Amino acid sequence: MKWTIVVGRYDKDQPAGSGYPPPFESAAAKRYQTFEVDLPEHAMVLDALIQVREYQDESLAVRCACRSAICGSCAMWINGHANLACTSKLRDFTVDGKVTVESPPSMPPIRDLVCDMTPFWQKNRQVRPWLEGKEPVPAGEEYRVPNAAMENLIQEVGCISCGACLMDCESFAVNQNFLGPAALAKAYRYTADPRDAETRDRLKTYSEPDGVWDCTHCYECVQQCPKGVAPLEQILKLRRMAVEEGFTNNAGTRHAYAFAESVKDSGRLNELTLMPKSFGLLNIRAQLQSLPAAFNMARAGKLPPLIHKKIPGLARIKSIFAKVGGKFK
Amino acid sequence: MILDHDVVVLGAGLAGMRAALEAARAGVKVAVVSKVHPVRSHSGAAQGGINAAIGKDDSWEIHAFDTIKGSDYLADQDAVEIMASEAPRDIIELEHMGVTFFRDDQGKLGTRAFGGASKARTYFVGDITGQALLYTLYDQILKAGVQIYEEWFATALYTVEGACRGAVCIDMLSGELHLLRAGAIIMASGGCGRVYEPSTNALICTGDGIALAYRVGAPLMDMEMVQYHPTTLKGSGFLMTEAARGEGAYLLNASGERFMQRYAPKMMELASRDVVSRSETIEIAEGRGVDDCVFLDLRHLGPEVVMRKLPQIHEMALDFLGIDMLTTPVPVRPGMHYIMGGIKTDATGATAMPGMYAAGECACVSVHGGNRLGANSLLDTLVFGRRSGAASANYARQVQPLTSGEDFLRSEQVRIAALLERPYEGETHARLRLELGTMMDRNVGVYRDEAGLQAALQTIQQLKQRYQHVAVGDKSRVYNQALTFVLELGYMLDIAETIVYSALTRTESRGAQSRTDFPKRNDAEWLKHVVIHSHDGQAPAIDFSPVSITKWPPQERTY
Amino acid sequence: MKVAFWPGCVSKGACPELYVSTHKVADALGLELVELEEAPCTGAGVLSEQNPALADSLNGLTLAMAERQGADLMTICSTCQGVLSGTQFHLANDPARLARVNETLASSGYEYRGTTKVKHLLWILVEDIGLDRLASLVKHKLTGLNVAPFYGCYILRPEEYLGLKERPERSTYLEQIIALIGATPVEYLGKSKCCGFPMLTMNREVSLKMGGKHILEAKSKGADVLVTPCPLCHLNLDGQQPDAAGVMKQPLGVPILHLPQLLGLAFGFAPEDLRLNHHVINTKAALEKVELKV
Repeated sequence: MKWTIVVGRYDKDQPAGSGYPPPFESAAAKRYQTFEVDLPEHAMVLDALIQVREYQDESLAVRCACRSAICGSCAMWINGHANLACTSKLRDFTVDGKVTVESPPSMPPIRDLVCDMTPFWQKNRQVRPWLEGKEPVPAGEEYRVPNAAMENLIQEVGCISCGACLMDCESFAVNQNFLGPAALAKAYRYTADPRDAETRDRLKTYSEPDGVWDCTHCYECVQQCPKGVAPLEQILKLRRMAVEEGFTNNAGTRHAYAFAESVKDSGRLNELTLMPKSFGLLNIRAQLQSLPAAFNMARAGKLPPLIHKKIPGLARIKSIFAKVGGKFK
Repeated sequence: MILDHDVVVLGAGLAGMRAALEAARAGVKVAVVSKVHPVRSHSGAAQGGINAAIGKDDSWEIHAFDTIKGSDYLADQDAVEIMASEAPRDIIELEHMGVTFFRDDQGKLGTRAFGGASKARTYFVGDITGQALLYTLYDQILKAGVQIYEEWFATALYTVEGACRGAVCIDMLSGELHLLRAGAIIMASGGCGRVYEPSTNALICTGDGIALAYRVGAPLMDMEMVQYHPTTLKGSGFLMTEAARGEGAYLLNASGERFMQRYAPKMMELASRDVVSRSETIEIAEGRGVDDCVFLDLRHLGPEVVMRKLPQIHEMALDFLGIDMLTTPVPVRPGMHYIMGGIKTDATGATAMPGMYAAGECACVSVHGGNRLGANSLLDTLVFGRRSGAASANYARQVQPLTSGEDFLRSEQVRIAALLERPYEGETHARLRLELGTMMDRNVGVYRDEAGLQAALQTIQQLKQRYQHVAVGDKSRVYNQALTFVLELGYMLDIAETIVYSALTRTESRGAQSRTDFPKRNDAEWLKHVVIHSHDGQAPAIDFSPVSITKWPPQERTY
Repeated sequence: MKVAFWPGCVSKGACPELYVSTHKVADALGLELVELEEAPCTGAGVLSEQNPALADSLNGLTLAMAERQGADLMTICSTCQGVLSGTQFHLANDPARLARVNETLASSGYEYRGTTKVKHLLWILVEDIGLDRLASLVKHKLTGLNVAPFYGCYILRPEEYLGLKERPERSTYLEQIIALIGATPVEYLGKSKCCGFPMLTMNREVSLKMGGKHILEAKSKGADVLVTPCPLCHLNLDGQQPDAAGVMKQPLGVPILHLPQLLGLAFGFAPEDLRLNHHVINTKAALEKVELKV
């Protein structure tokens, strides 16, 4: 079968060409080149790229090794989303007669489909990604832990560091300091390991700015992960663990408590008090920063009713909180 | 640039990282060089597990015997004893490092059955054991602060007065060549699967380190021993872990018969790999296969076992063949998987060349002999990675630092520059590589004979001639993969030649070497290793090395 | 057609224009809205992350209320849709989780059996009412108006909660409706991305940049307006847009329309009746492009 593949070409050494589409045009000089390949119906995007590299244009740079979603080398943008080229079928990704592949604009480009993964590895390094074993280390034998505790970690252990999650992370795209999905998933893997001695210290560190609370909860990482690691789910588990461990002096925790309080007391969200409570009533700077928007909205007639109405049948809600409200009781 | 370290490790798979960790613990200045990021290494593809005799009803002697029997008595028994007896401590150490081994009801390490093993002694993390180990070791070398040169590609070893003292590498990101000088070099660059097409190995498994060592005169051993894995996926050749059979999967022929009952009535599907691969090849050759394949049947295991313990291969069969293992048997065939041979070392990882150590698949201790047991390769990387790390650190401490090397670096720069400028005459690395691989699979695969091997040798010599005319189809400095592919092809041609020479030399059938013209094992003449070496680019020379026999005299081998 | 209607907190709070325009469009379509006045907030994902059991019960109650109406549950908010779909997914696939919810709900007089479907207005428009029927109601084609769709995360992800594996076309409904009413859909990367709202209190600058980036991209592709099925996206994209422009150090000025407002214009309602005069970003210029005045 004939397939058409459009490849974003770039060479750090020889910047030339038209550039990324806005708003990324400043990222790099780049051009798109179209190739035709003849491959079977079930062929993958990576098969097409290898075909091009071997028989049409040896200068095409693309990282790949295992070709079976184990080594994690070949994450790239396919039709505008991060994906592994080796498990993306040409058939599934051909739109209007072509597949478009390129280096993701969120990562520094190097050459063609090869991007600079340094941000990814640095974040990994930042979360202290190793076991700080509990003392005493059992002499000559293993730590005794339930199998369920190990199987609980295997979701993250399955991570192949392809970086697809970070490439499409919305928070990272505008804040390079955010630890990002993969590193935080790895953070969960060691935090939740019953053999680790630094759980509390880890949770404290991860609760700081650019940590767990800087995830925008958009599910891009869950969607893009080729191995079912679901980084967002691991981040949420860390948030829960952090709050339970008492690391509550942050907007994220205050937001959750204010939210719960509002629902418990009225059945609904009180937009008027949620924001100020989340910032912390003494955080004058944040309170002031939010004023212009509140003023704009009030002027447009979009201010929520000043007297927050309770829903009818609130007793039901209170009863639910009483039964399963946990820390929000 | 010239950079100095005490120990430089070439390769960052399990063996390389374990070696680096041990050397760092010994307090010397260590660097790891890898042509890919460490976690991309092919160790991560090992699915099933790692062997150790820890259980009460097991002993390291039984493990050693299984390994020796599996090797068809070609393994050096002193080395096997070391591996089997040290295995438990390495597994426990890995557990302490954080590997999430699956557990039994008591929260102790849990095991699964594996081919060629008389006890269930394979420790595992789902079906991603290699990956779990690889990441844990990567985390450990980060913790230890080991210097990593990632995406650096080695072009030559630097020798001074007969000792190995460094390596020249291309930094892929800049295209610059650098000389890494060291007191000792550890070769840990993995296998050479891509010499064959198809192969279960990643595209990066091109035997770079084996060839580099061979080129500077280090002897290679057991190179004829190329393992074909019995269950590789139809078409792509991807690995379907032996753990599937360990968990109870069947092998069926076209008529649905469990044909292994005719070849290995006791062990059935869990006979050792050479035996199962030969049986499959016979089934297919005698017309009881379908499209050159037999079937791996997991249906009776049920979704619970498959999805919990073998999710990765379930996903792969679905992705690459559109087959759901839960309802349909998967077509598989024997495929090139592993080379038992490699750079000849002693049990400390030392090679015949001073200053050069080797560990893992690129090395040959020899603990696998004629056939490696499943789940012994991860063990090999850890035990001998650790040992070579310790020994090399010790050695490097006693070596005088170098001031020379600039000339050598310059000569490599000139050689690479000339290669880049070679004009295009119609030969490409991709075509030559494909010709080499398919020929090796055809002539130097499960069954071999004199005529086929001679033809192979002739083809390799022709390919070597044509290789002199292969151009590099990329002129950029940054991430020039065309250049590294051409260099890799050169390595693979050298290795192919050593495999064929060695296979021609051994006129018997043992382990993975099945000569149809010499179908019997011949202990009287061939209870010895074939060693091959070459100096200054001259034709290969053959030597022999005795097999160490400690407690287990050769017996007839049945499963 | 009758639906149990869950308006969500925001349409009854800071986005009254969504509530009003939804009723206008529903009337035109003959869609009977039985509002669940006693249903609680979904928790917007905030409660479920800290206390899954609590969120399960609150949303289980809403689902049970709809079930008692014998009708599908309609949302007009991508976030409500995502959270309710998520609850429904978990309760359908985990009997123990369902049992726990019903145990909690027992004293409230409700039980959730798992028969009702949760559908966003957007899905009902295309899947139940149908594009033909919609087309027949268009009185004022919005020809020449470039409309950039903005879905909001939770109506698209995770796919398995939202039936996108079975119906991948759900990620194109906005474009289909935009085209149907004579306007031109603007293709841009940001359409399926995050508006930044969930981060607003945690990291304001990042939140504003997120939204601002997508508005800027849509604008550079010629968008006159954005349309969204999510009032939380609206809060960030419209309510915070002047601040976002400040953070981005670039003028933005792109009006953000709620889905029923856009449809209402095509159905011939006056802009004031759809409360298009109650936006932070003035809609005047965009409306003039299609010969409408506010």
